[in-house]
Amino acid sequence: MKILVCLKQIPDMESKFRINEEGIWYDEANLAWRINEYDEYAVEQAVQVKEQLGGAEVVALSLGPARVKEAIKKALAMGCDRGVHINDEEGWRRDPFEIASLIAGYAKEEGFDLVFTGMQSQDRGSAQVGVLLAGMLGLPAMTTVVDFALEDGAVRVKRELEGGMKACVKCNLPAVVTCQLGLNTPRYPTLPNIMKAKRKEMQTIEAADLAAAGSRLVTDRLAFPEKKGGGLVLEGEAADLAGKLATILRDKIKVL
Amino acid sequence: MEATREIYWNVGHGVLVPMYLLALAALGVMAYGFARRLKVYRLGRPLVRTDNLSARIAAALRSSIMQTRVLRVRAPGGVHSLFFWSFLMLFAGTVLVFVQADIAAPLFDKRFLSGNFYRYFSLVLDLAGLLALVMLGALFVRRYLMRPGGLESDRDDAIMHGLLFAIVLSGFIIEGLRMAATELPAGSALANWSPVGLTVAKLFSAASEPSLRMWHAVAWWGHLTLTLGFIVAIPFTKLRHLFAVPANYLLADRGPKGCLSTLDLEDESVESFGAAALGDLSWKDIFDTDACIECKRCQDRCPAHRTEKPLSPMRLVDDLHRVAFADPQQGLAEAAGKDALWSCTTCRACQEICPASVEHVGKIVEMRRNLVLMEGEFPGEEVTAAIDNVEVNGNPLGMAFAARGDWARELGVKTLDEDPDVDVLYFVGCYASFDKRNIRVAKSLIEICRHAGVRIGILGQEEKCCGEPVRKMGNEYLYQMSAAGNIETIKAYGIERVVTSCPHCFNTLNKDYRDLGFDAEVEHYTAFLDRLLREGRLKLKPESFSATYHDSCYLGRYNDLYEAPRNLLGAAGASLREMDASGAESFCCGAGGGRILAEEKLGRRISKERARMAGETGADTLVSNCPFCLTMFEDGVKGASLEEGLSTVDLSEIIASRLTN
Amino acid sequence: MKILLVGEYREGQLQGCTCELLGFARQMKAEPVMFLVGDAADLPAFDGRLYLAEAGRYGEFSPEVHQQLVLEVVEKESPDLVVLSHSSYGWDLAPRLAAALEAAQISEAVAVADGAFEVPACNAKLRRTVRPATARGVVTLQAGAFDPAPAGGTPEVQTVDSAVEAAGAVEFLGYEAAEQAGVDLGKAEVIVSAGRGIGKPENIGMIADLAKALGGEYGASRPVVDAGWADHDRQVGSTGQTVAPRLYMACGISGAVQHLMGMKKSDFIVAVNSDRDAPIGEVADVLVVADLKEFVPAFMTTIQG
Repeated sequence: MKILVCLKQIPDMESKFRINEEGIWYDEANLAWRINEYDEYAVEQAVQVKEQLGGAEVVALSLGPARVKEAIKKALAMGCDRGVHINDEEGWRRDPFEIASLIAGYAKEEGFDLVFTGMQSQDRGSAQVGVLLAGMLGLPAMTTVVDFALEDGAVRVKRELEGGMKACVKCNLPAVVTCQLGLNTPRYPTLPNIMKAKRKEMQTIEAADLAAAGSRLVTDRLAFPEKKGGGLVLEGEAADLAGKLATILRDKIKVL
Repeated sequence: MEATREIYWNVGHGVLVPMYLLALAALGVMAYGFARRLKVYRLGRPLVRTDNLSARIAAALRSSIMQTRVLRVRAPGGVHSLFFWSFLMLFAGTVLVFVQADIAAPLFDKRFLSGNFYRYFSLVLDLAGLLALVMLGALFVRRYLMRPGGLESDRDDAIMHGLLFAIVLSGFIIEGLRMAATELPAGSALANWSPVGLTVAKLFSAASEPSLRMWHAVAWWGHLTLTLGFIVAIPFTKLRHLFAVPANYLLADRGPKGCLSTLDLEDESVESFGAAALGDLSWKDIFDTDACIECKRCQDRCPAHRTEKPLSPMRLVDDLHRVAFADPQQGLAEAAGKDALWSCTTCRACQEICPASVEHVGKIVEMRRNLVLMEGEFPGEEVTAAIDNVEVNGNPLGMAFAARGDWARELGVKTLDEDPDVDVLYFVGCYASFDKRNIRVAKSLIEICRHAGVRIGILGQEEKCCGEPVRKMGNEYLYQMSAAGNIETIKAYGIERVVTSCPHCFNTLNKDYRDLGFDAEVEHYTAFLDRLLREGRLKLKPESFSATYHDSCYLGRYNDLYEAPRNLLGAAGASLREMDASGAESFCCGAGGGRILAEEKLGRRISKERARMAGETGADTLVSNCPFCLTMFEDGVKGASLEEGLSTVDLSEIIASRLTN
Repeated sequence: MKILLVGEYREGQLQGCTCELLGFARQMKAEPVMFLVGDAADLPAFDGRLYLAEAGRYGEFSPEVHQQLVLEVVEKESPDLVVLSHSSYGWDLAPRLAAALEAAQISEAVAVADGAFEVPACNAKLRRTVRPATARGVVTLQAGAFDPAPAGGTPEVQTVDSAVEAAGAVEFLGYEAAEQAGVDLGKAEVIVSAGRGIGKPENIGMIADLAKALGGEYGASRPVVDAGWADHDRQVGSTGQTVAPRLYMACGISGAVQHLMGMKKSDFIVAVNSDRDAPIGEVADVLVVADLKEFVPAFMTTIQG
C-alpha cells in the first residue's frame, strides 16, 4: 500500500502579519512556521493506516522553499517513511490549480493507493488542492472528513456538515481524502522517531522540472480588512466599561 | 575492693568460643543478606558517587552522629536522636569490653575498665540504657498509641520496637541479677554507680544465689541470642537503615542542588531514554528505596499529597522498592501511577526534609522523560499544545515570537541587537514578556535599574523560553534545543552578566545551562537588587505595610535565597508576618515541574491552599518573587475569596514604588 | 454577466444559503439562473429559470453525478460565473466544476466589486482581492456574507433528465445526527459565548453565570468545545448552531469566520476582547477592549448592583 500525504507549511496564525512589498501576499520575515493544522490530521491518519495495515509506504510531500523541509521532517518524525520536497522559491505565488498540477506531476507515476490532504490551508483557505489533485490523478475524492475507516480495500468516512450533522460516505481505493479538524489526535513525535526522521530519505524535485499548469487567478492585493464595523469601541478601566455597557444595553436594546 | 567487675562472671570464659562462632555466623548471615541486596542495586545504571571520598566520609559521619537531618523535625527527631546516642553509647561500651577482654588483657595484660574510669563508665552506660528505654517507650507511644496520620506500621516496625526493647531490657535484667548476686549482699559501693542496675537488683533481692546465677546465665544467653538476632535481622528488615542511611549520606548528590542530569540525546547506542523499567534507574535510585524508612516527612510536605492528588513521595519510593525487590519486570510508570507522576511540582520539599537523603525528584523526572521522549505522552492536550508553542514560537503561551520585546518598546528599552553595550542582560522570560500581569514586573525591574544607574538590555525577539517547564515535564530534547539557541545568542553578544526575574529561568541558566557550555554570571533580581541596596546604589524610602512573603521553591529550597528578599522588604518598610510554612518549609504555589502548562484536574487547588495560608497571617499583601507564583496567587486568592483583604504583588513592584533619590 | 447558481438541498429541505446565492445574483444585477438537485415540493421563490434535478433520482450527495448535471446545464446556459455556497456541499463540488471548465475558482468570497472578489486570508486577519484570469470563473460564497434576496416569484422550472449514471465512485450511505444534549441555543434571547480567551475551563462558570444573570444561555466557540471545556450543544458556528438572539456577547472570541457565520445575524452584538484588532470587531456593535477576566466580573457586579 502506497500512501501520499500532502502538507503545507504556513506561518503560525498568532504572528503579526505585514503585507509584502508587492502588496499581494504577507511578508515572510519574522514569522514562525508550522504545519498547516488540517494537514497534521492528514499526517496522523496516514500513519494510523500504516499501523493498522502493519506496513505501508507513506510519503510526505510539500511544496515551497527550502524551509518547508522542516515541516516534512515533522511528518517524518510522526511516522511517514520518506519525504518529497517540491522546491519552489516563491511557492506562494502559485494558485491551487498550479499546485495541484505540480503535485500530480510527481504523483502520477507513483501509483498511490491513498492520498491524504488537509481540507484547506489556514493561510489561504481555498479548499481546492485536494479535490483538484484527485481529478488530475483520476481518483475519487471525499472531503471534510471527521471519521475514517479502512476495510477490505474500501474507505468509509464521515463528512462534517453544517449544524453538527454528519454524512456517511464510502468509496473504493484508490482515493483522495481531505481532512477536517478533529479527525484524530495528532501524535507528538517520540525522540527516536525525531532522530530517525533526520536520516529518512528526502527527495527534492525542482518545481520548474515538473510541468505546471498556467495560473488561473490574479491577485490584485492583500490588505488588512477596513474597520467598517461601525461599531463602538470602548476602552478603559473594567469598572467604567462595565457601567458604560450596562447603560447601552439598557437604553439601546432594553436588555436589563 | 577494686572498682571493676569480672567479665564473663558466672557464664565463664568457656562462652568465648561459642559466642564468637555464633557472632561470626550472625555476621555471615548479615553479610549474605546485604550481598543479596547488593545484587538488586546493581541492576541499576552506573553512577559516580564516590568522588571526593574524604569530604563525603566527613559529611556522612557528621550527619550521622549529629543526627542533623533527623533533627529537622524537632519532636520525633529529638526522641530518635536521644535514642540513637544512648544506643551508640551502649555500643561503645560493648566495644570497650571486647577490647579489654580479647585484646588488651590477654595480649598486653592491660585492664582499663577499673577505678574511676570504670565508675564513670558504669554510670554513663546505665543512664544511657535508661534513656534508650525511655526513648523507645516514647517512640512506641507515638507510633502505636498516638498514631500520627499517614504513618503506617508493619511487621518490620514491630520487629524493631520489640527487638530493641528486649535487648536493652534484658541487658538491665542481666545486670540486676548479677548485682543481686554479687553486690547487694556485700553492700558494694560500686553498686551506686549503676543506679538502674541497682534498682533492678533490688527486685530480685529475695532470690537465692543459685537461682540468681541460673537466671543470669539464661538472661545472658537470651541477650546474646537477641543481639545476634538483631544482627541477622538488619539486612532483612527496616533495621538496614542503620547502614543504609549513613551510606546514603556518603553517596549523596554533592552537585548543584536541583540540577537534572543532561541526557546525551545524540548517543546512538542508547536505545531508550528516561526510566521505563528497573534497569533504567541508577543503582543509587534503587539503593534509595532501601534507605527509605517510611517516616512520611516527605508526604507531609508534598503539595500534591496535601491537596489529595494521587502522588505521595513516600508511596512512590515504596512502589519502586516493590518493583526492585518483588516484581522487577513491572513497568515503573505503571507501578507508580501516571497521575501520580504528572502531579509532581518538583518543589523539593520531599528531598529537603528526608532524613535518609532519598532523592525523589530525579526519579520522577526520569520516568516523565521516558513517557515523553519514548511514548510521546503528556498529561493532557493542553500540555502538548504548550510544548508545540514552545517549539514554534519559543514560548508556551502561543504568542508570536516577533512580539516578545513589544512590552519594552514604550519604555525605550533597547534590545542587544540595537545596542549591545550594557552592564547586564535582563533575561525576561516568557511570562514577563507576554503575560499582562507579569509585564508589570518586567517594567518595574527596568525602572529600578534605571534609577540605580544600571545599563540594562534585553534580547527581545531573540530570546526563547529557557526551556525549564518543558524539561521538567520530561521533554529533554526540546529543552536542549531551546537552551542551545539561547546560549548561542547570549554568547554571540559577549554577555558576562545576566539577571532574571524568574527563579525558574535563574535556576536553569545558572545550573542546567552549565552542562551545555554557558558560563556567564547569573543572578535572580532579588540577590541583584539586595546587592545594589547594600552598595548604596539603590535608595529606598520605606513606607510601612503589612506583608507575608512567599519563599518560592526555586529561589528558596533550590537556591537557599531567603535573606536577600527579606532585606529588601525590610528596606521597603514591610512589617513581615511569616507563614508557618516559610523558608525551607515553604509550601509550593503549584506551578513548578512544568505544571504551569497543565490544568489542575485532580484534588484541590494547590494555589488556593497556599493563598489560605497567606490569608491566615492577617497580612494584607502577599509578596512573591516568581511569575508562576504571582500568576497562581492571582487565581488562588480569588479562588479562596480573599481578594478583599489580600493583594498579590511581586517584590519588584514594591521596590519600584519605594524608589527615592 | 451570466451567472449560474448551484442551490443546495439536504435532508429533504431547501438550504437557506440558496437564498444568499440569489441575493448575490441580485447584487451583481444578473439574471438568476439556478441549478438545483432538489424536490419540486420545496423550491426557492424567485423569478428566473430553475433547472431541477430530482434528489430522489440523483441523490442529495453524489459529487461526480452532480458535477455532470451542472456541466450539462453550463453547456446550455454558457454562464460566465458558476456560483455555489462555501459549504460542505459547495467546497466539495466547486473544484470539480472548475477543473472540468478549466476555470479559476475563487473560494469563500465575502464581497465583489468590478469583477474582483474579496476573500479572507490567515484566519480572517487579512483580505485578498482576486479575479479569475480565465474566461469563466467558479465562485463559492461565504455563508452569510451576501444578504438573501427577498423571497418572491415563481421560477420557471426545467426538469433535468440526464443520461448520466446515477451513481459515482463516491457512495452516500446516510446521515448521522450529532448527539443533541438538550440545549437549544436557537431559542435563547440572550447568549453569552466563551472563546479561547477565557484561558481555562474554570472560567466557563463566569460566562455561564453572566448568561444566566442576563436571562439567557451560554454558548462556546469551536476551540472551546474541542478542548472539552463545553459540550457540543453549546457550540455556535458553522459546525454548531446558528443563532440570532437579541443580544449576543462574545467573550474572548477572536471572530473566526466559522464562528461569525453562526451568530452574525444577531440583533445586537457585543464583543469583549483584549485585542482591539480582533476580527470579531467587524460584526460587533460594541467592542469592549478589556481582559474578559477583569471585565466580566466587573460587569456582573454592575448589573447585579
